[in-house]
Parts: sequence; C-alpha cells; structure tokens
Amino acid sequence: MGNKIILSSLMLFSLLHAQEVTADKPTIEDLIKEIQKLKESIKELKAAQKENSSYIEEVDEHVEKTETRLLQDKLKFGLDFKTNLDNFSKKYASGRVVKNNNIWSNKLMLNAKADITGSMKFYARLSMYKYWGSSYVHPYSSYDNMQGRVPADSSIYVERAYLDWFFNKDGILPFAVTIGRQPSGDGPSFQFKDNTMRKATYSALLYDGAADGIVTTFNLSKVLKYKKTYLRFGYAKGFGYAETANDVGNAYIGASNNDLKDTNVYGIFLDTRVPYLHNSLVQVSYSKMKDIIANPLDGSAMTNKNLGDMDIYGAMVEITNLKNMNLDLFAHYGYIKTDPNSNTYLRYGGLLNSPGSSASKSGDAIWLGARYGFGEKAKYKVGLEYNHGSKNWVSLTQGSFDVYNKLATRGDAYEAYVMYVANRYVNIRLGYIKIDYDYTRSGWFVGEPLPLNILSPSADYDLKSLESAYLKMNVNF
Amino acid sequence: MIMNFFKFFLLLAVPLLLEANTLSGEALAKRLHLSAGTKAVIQWERVFKSERKKRKYKIETLSPSEQDILKEYLISHAIDSDKPTVAGE
Repeated sequence: MGNKIILSSLMLFSLLHAQEVTADKPTIEDLIKEIQKLKESIKELKAAQKENSSYIEEVDEHVEKTETRLLQDKLKFGLDFKTNLDNFSKKYASGRVVKNNNIWSNKLMLNAKADITGSMKFYARLSMYKYWGSSYVHPYSSYDNMQGRVPADSSIYVERAYLDWFFNKDGILPFAVTIGRQPSGDGPSFQFKDNTMRKATYSALLYDGAADGIVTTFNLSKVLKYKKTYLRFGYAKGFGYAETANDVGNAYIGASNNDLKDTNVYGIFLDTRVPYLHNSLVQVSYSKMKDIIANPLDGSAMTNKNLGDMDIYGAMVEITNLKNMNLDLFAHYGYIKTDPNSNTYLRYGGLLNSPGSSASKSGDAIWLGARYGFGEKAKYKVGLEYNHGSKNWVSLTQGSFDVYNKLATRGDAYEAYVMYVANRYVNIRLGYIKIDYDYTRSGWFVGEPLPLNILSPSADYDLKSLESAYLKMNVNF
Repeated sequence: MIMNFFKFFLLLAVPLLLEANTLSGEALAKRLHLSAGTKAVIQWERVFKSERKKRKYKIETLSPSEQDILKEYLISHAIDSDKPTVAGE
C-alpha cells in the first residue's frame, strides 16, 4: 500500500515537473539523486510501519488482558446504604404516651448481578438492617418475608437471589422465567421517596417483603404493538410450615404434615403504561392466598392452624416526571376478600374474625402521593403521601423497610418530606409521618379488627396514633 | 368496590390530558440513533461537554431544552446507571 502511494507520487511528481525538466534540462545524475531520495523515504516509511505494527500488537495484547480480567468478574456489585434517625411518639388507646427519640439504624444492601449468558441473568441482594448499638432480633424479624427487611442483628440475610431466564427473545412473544427469592420488596411507588429507579415488581400497597417463588413474564409489547406491556403469572410460598416436633433428620424435609398446609400464593399481574405517558406504569393484579397459616413461627401443629383463603385485587398508576415538570404522581388501590374456615388460633380468633366466627370479610385501601423537584437540576424535592385502610384491610406488607408498615394501617397515614439530592448517588430526606389508627391489629391476618376502646383489656398496647420526625440518608451506587 | 375502582381510574384522566404530545428523551435518542446502554454515565457526560462529540452524534441539531432532556435520558439509562429491578424484564 505504502509503495503504491510513493510510486504514484513519483509519477505525479514527474508529470508536474515535466515542463520544468525539459526547460531546465536536468541531467541523468539529478534524476538518480531524486530516485535515491525517494528510496530513502520508502525505507523510513517501512521502518515506521513496522514500529506501528508492533505497537498495535502490544495494544491488542493489553486489550485482551483487560477483557480477560473483565470476563473473570462474574459478579458485578452495587451498593445501597441507608442511615435513619427516627423520633417516635406513640399514643395508645388507654391514653398512655411513649416517646422513643434518637433511634438510629443502618441498612446495608449489597446488590449483585451476573450476566451468565445472553439469555440468563442472576441477581442477588444481601442485606443487613439493625438499630445502632443493638443486635436484638425481635421474633417477628425471623419471619421469612421479613429477614433482612426489618431491623435485627448485624447478620447478612439473603433478601433476593433469583435467576431470570429469557426465551424466544427475538420472537413475537418473548417470555422469561424468574426463579428464586424474588424482587418483591420496596416496590412501586417507594422509589420516589428513595430517589431511585423502580426497585421491585409489585405494588408496595399489596406486597412488600421477601418471597420465594417462580414467576413467568410474557412480554406482550410486540404482539400488542404497545411498549412496556407484560403479563405475569406468579407462584410463591407465602409461609412454609415446619413443625418443631419433626425437626430431626430427614423428617425436616417433609416437615409439613396433613394437619397444617403451607400458605401458597398464586397471582396474575398486568403491567403496561398509559398512552402518551412514556414514564408511566399501570399495574392491575389478582392474587389468591391459599391456606393462610396463623403464625409461621409457631412450630406446634397442636396450636397453629390454617385459617382459610384470601383474594387480593390491586390497581395502580404512577407517572414519573410528568411533562418534564419534575412532578411525579402515583395512586394505588387494593381490595381483599377472605374465605375463612372455622379454625381459631389460640384466643385471637380466625381469619379477620373473632373466636367462633367464620364470616367472609372484605377490606380496601388507597395510597396516593406526589413529589415535586425544584431548584437547579431539581436538587430539592418535596413529597406528600397519604394512605387509608378500612377496618378489614390487610395485605402482604409485613416485610416493609418502613418500620411503621404504614401501608397496612387501618385508619389514615400522612407523610411529608423534603429531600436534598447531594449528587447522583446520595440524597438526604427530612420528613414527618403521622398515623391515626381506627382499628386494632393493623397488618395482622388473625383476629377481628376492633374499634379502639379505652376499656379494652389490650388498650395499653393498642396503638391509637404514631408520629415520627425522621432524617434519612440514602446512598445508592 | 366497583365505585372505588371507578374513582381510581378517573385519576388516570388528569395526567393523560396533561402529557399528550410531549417528546421524551427516549424518542430523541431514537431519532439520533443513540443507544444509552452503549456508554457509562461518565462517558455520556463527556459527550455533552465536548462540542466535537456533540457534532459527531448530531446532538447539536437539537434545541438546548431537548439536549437537556436527551442528556437526562442517556445518563439515567447508561450501562452503569441505576436500573429498574423487575422480574423477567
């Protein structure tokens, strides 16, 4: 290539100077000198080319080494770290007031991801959540769906570990199977408060906590020619039962017995977006909880019972950055209906029923919120949230990161906050939450919710209201 | 229950009316044949700081406000950015 260019240049040079040559009548010696000069130039170019080739080889070797190192990093890690300061004020039905100020806690989440093949991805989240200076593990913290989700000790829990296996990626109906401990905590629309992207699959009003299961997701976007439309069928083990008496040897494998069945959850979920709203999510769902176990931590088949089934319906919509106005909006609705059996758990009663009653109950809840960003690059944000739950409202939010589990409230909850976004990865939030309870046992499946009564035997520990002024810092990197 | 569902879906109408005809960062990226996942956050930031690179990717053909929308989109969808975590997507 180099030689050709030089010879062409030589010919061009000869033609251009033909007249001059004729005019000045150069001697043969002059031409020989010119040729000699050109030969030297060719030699220099060849040397330079050789040097370049060895340089390219060297660079190629470095690129390969870097690639090898990258390919060895099978897991990629990300970090979520939260520091919380809460100041609680609790008022009980009896009128007793308890204040717990200066309560600090940390939550660490190590997020891991692996691209196993082009059609297989693995995700995990390892979590630690504890109060400062305390490693007390509350019995409820041991519930399977609460591990790593509510404050306990400094142990690391596996909050998520699942494989996404994609099929028919280039076909008209791609689908994926998600197997393992699911992304079912911190779901929509908690991401606004944390200033992150969507962190889980399901509306947080209905589901918030860890869950083991299998989910098949059909991507309907191509079939319907409508973007971001997915239909999911899910199966999860709500509460697996292990009888203490069988907790020996191989018997543990088949711990469930004929007296008590595991709680299984089956669900169907449709995700899509609102027309013209590019950053929106609409989710409509139906789930059935079969054989709800009264107390997953009670290992005795003598006392523990299956209390019946429950249907859960949900609908939600959320819009991120509406019309580029830095305004986010969301609204969720949930409805439940029980199908109890006649079982009673200890003195508490049946599924949302008093002892001896097996009436079907229904309840509903609504959760509304807005967040607005202002200042340069919307570095400051202000948010408002409200939720209301009826007398019989209950859902699967016991594993909520929010220690108040405010979305389970049978009553009203109000929250307001201001946020400072320090940079892309860190934000600080100052907020206030107030919860007014109308009925007892918010978040419980067992027993009939009762109006708060000063004369009730439990009046001294039935919460009437809860307030907290909080300060939280989120690092998401 | 039916009434509650009805009221809930009435809420959908408000943002729907407000949002129509707004051009998204995704649409702008598509128009310029840019794929957010091909670069890391810091690399996209570098693109928007360099006039030469803006010319290379034809970003300069957009208005300043469109450039801001596109930048926000590309950075928030960059290969190393915070991604939505959803089963099977």
